[in-house]
Amino acid sequence: MIRAYLVGVGRFVTALAAAFGNLIETLASRGLRYTETWLTGTKHAKYGLAVTRILLGLTGVGLLLTNLRTRLYTFGAGSAWNGEAAHPTSEFPRMWIFSLFHRLALHDTWFTLAYVGLLILACLVVLGWRMKIVLPVYFFCWVGFAEMNDLVGDQGDNMYRITIMTLLFADTAQRWSLDARRAAIAVTRDSAPGGVLGHLRRAWLGGRLLPEWLTNTTHNLALVVITCHVCFVYASGALYKASGAPWQQGYAIYNPLHVIRFSPWPELADLLTQWAPLVALVSWASIILQMSFPMMLTNRVTRVLALFGILGFHLGIAVLMGLPWFSLAMIAVDSIFIRDVTWRAVSAFLGEAWQASRVPLPTKAPHEDFKRRRAVVSRRS
Amino acid sequence: MNSNSARHNRPSSPRRIEASRWRQRIRRSVIALLALAAAWHIFATFLWIAPVSGLRAAVPGSVLHRYMIPMNGQSWSVFAPAPINGDYRLQVRAYVQNGTSSYTTPWVDATEVETSMLTHHLFPPRASIQSTELASRFKSSYDKLTADHKVVVKLGYFESDDWEQRLTSKLGSYGAQSAVDSYMREEHELSAYSTQVAYALWGTKVSRIQFVVSRRNVVPYGDRDDPHARRPAPQVALTGWRGTVEEAGQSRSDFASVFRKAYAESGQ
Repeated sequence: MIRAYLVGVGRFVTALAAAFGNLIETLASRGLRYTETWLTGTKHAKYGLAVTRILLGLTGVGLLLTNLRTRLYTFGAGSAWNGEAAHPTSEFPRMWIFSLFHRLALHDTWFTLAYVGLLILACLVVLGWRMKIVLPVYFFCWVGFAEMNDLVGDQGDNMYRITIMTLLFADTAQRWSLDARRAAIAVTRDSAPGGVLGHLRRAWLGGRLLPEWLTNTTHNLALVVITCHVCFVYASGALYKASGAPWQQGYAIYNPLHVIRFSPWPELADLLTQWAPLVALVSWASIILQMSFPMMLTNRVTRVLALFGILGFHLGIAVLMGLPWFSLAMIAVDSIFIRDVTWRAVSAFLGEAWQASRVPLPTKAPHEDFKRRRAVVSRRS
Repeated sequence: MNSNSARHNRPSSPRRIEASRWRQRIRRSVIALLALAAAWHIFATFLWIAPVSGLRAAVPGSVLHRYMIPMNGQSWSVFAPAPINGDYRLQVRAYVQNGTSSYTTPWVDATEVETSMLTHHLFPPRASIQSTELASRFKSSYDKLTADHKVVVKLGYFESDDWEQRLTSKLGSYGAQSAVDSYMREEHELSAYSTQVAYALWGTKVSRIQFVVSRRNVVPYGDRDDPHARRPAPQVALTGWRGTVEEAGQSRSDFASVFRKAYAESGQ
């Protein structure tokens, strides 16, 4: 009787273990299939990464224009006193591929020509022209330029460099770019001959150079890498802050906003820090938002809250702390978290608003149509 | 399509099936390798960015450092654990020897000159923060000196071309060589900057310069509503007179054209 019972229990446990093993195997198999399909099937966040490219390009344009008048004072022969020309602080100017600006630093005319060249490259990044060639060239030139003067750099430079390096593996010109326009035209008149030359010619005209499954994989992995990176940046920033008394006691924003370097608008800073509850709210909200940003991305409602919150956070840094290009670079990276359907709806809305503004009497205010348009775009996708 | 190619393209051809399997295996291997590379990069980035923890021991030796620096170098302990709460200031004056006449110039606040490009500007140039950063780094290295060192740096060192070597060896005689080396690097850079400030404002007859770096904290948050509250007294790092320092390739005009304009805008 007992033996039969024990045998039954043994069979039950064996069957349970086998079922559990099967379940794990099935889940692992499904997970692998899903991952493979997700990686190779199509390129994700095409619009989000296009916006990232455009905003990063605008960051470059803005930063170069902002420093145009003082370029020789800060980076050129006027700044040789900092010793960077003889012994660069950063390792980048010592690497050949990043050394262009370092080599030209003491020659005013050549430096200015290179500076204008970099500005043109940044404009081409915004426009998305020949990105497979322009983006790597821009990356090597930009890093060499940004690392010229260690005294004036900030963490935005690091974020900018690392993000663009990652974007070299993605296709950021699939949407809203001159490359996308060329590719669309190439599809309609694909008459290049066969063979390697024909393949290269098609690629030059906007066709594929490498197999789609490979470019899809690198594109989507780049997206994953950027997502993880920005989540680590925000969450660790919050962890570092949480250990400090000014953050715990809710007055941390008061201090930098009363330091000249981080307070270009002292009157605004005084106004903002006048009321203690507001100071505490902004100080704590900064930490809470940064800490919970990765989790908030997982749900649509909280994602919208997180993105509006982080946008406000960066706009505050841009205006109140005088760091507009750092903020724009961070906003550029955050753009990948907005779904393609939303970007298309925004685009359609702006397009119609523009068209409506050009006719004498618009029949309907464009903002009334936004929700309907988004629903239509969503159905089409 | 001729019969030969039709036979060749038959889906049931064992050679074709085998080739297709191999292509699939190669493709999956490439995807797996790319995914592994991305996973390592993400893990390394996490370890590098996150506060230091026991997890870093998962990567032995200097592998993490060698992987992250320089391409992935970054630090996100910005404004943490406590944000900056004081202004740095760099003031410069010079001794001008013009033929038989000589005079000492008034102090000029170089930080105020540069930050005039920042205050009330929506898009400030990076030039606006150079002297602030210089002063901050100098003060940090000065604070690591001993009391004996600080007595020495208050003395004048400007005669003959070897004044920096003499100052270095004098400071070194009081020990803490690494602190002295670090301090001298900052002092050299600050002397070179101050020399350009002096040339820009008082011409090339400047024979020696002097600078003073200070840090003054803001009114404490708890006292902000007190109408009588004053900022705490500045912490001053005073150095003696120094000889002029100019690096090879320095363009005085490139420096002066921007600095003079900002000086005029600062209203000093």
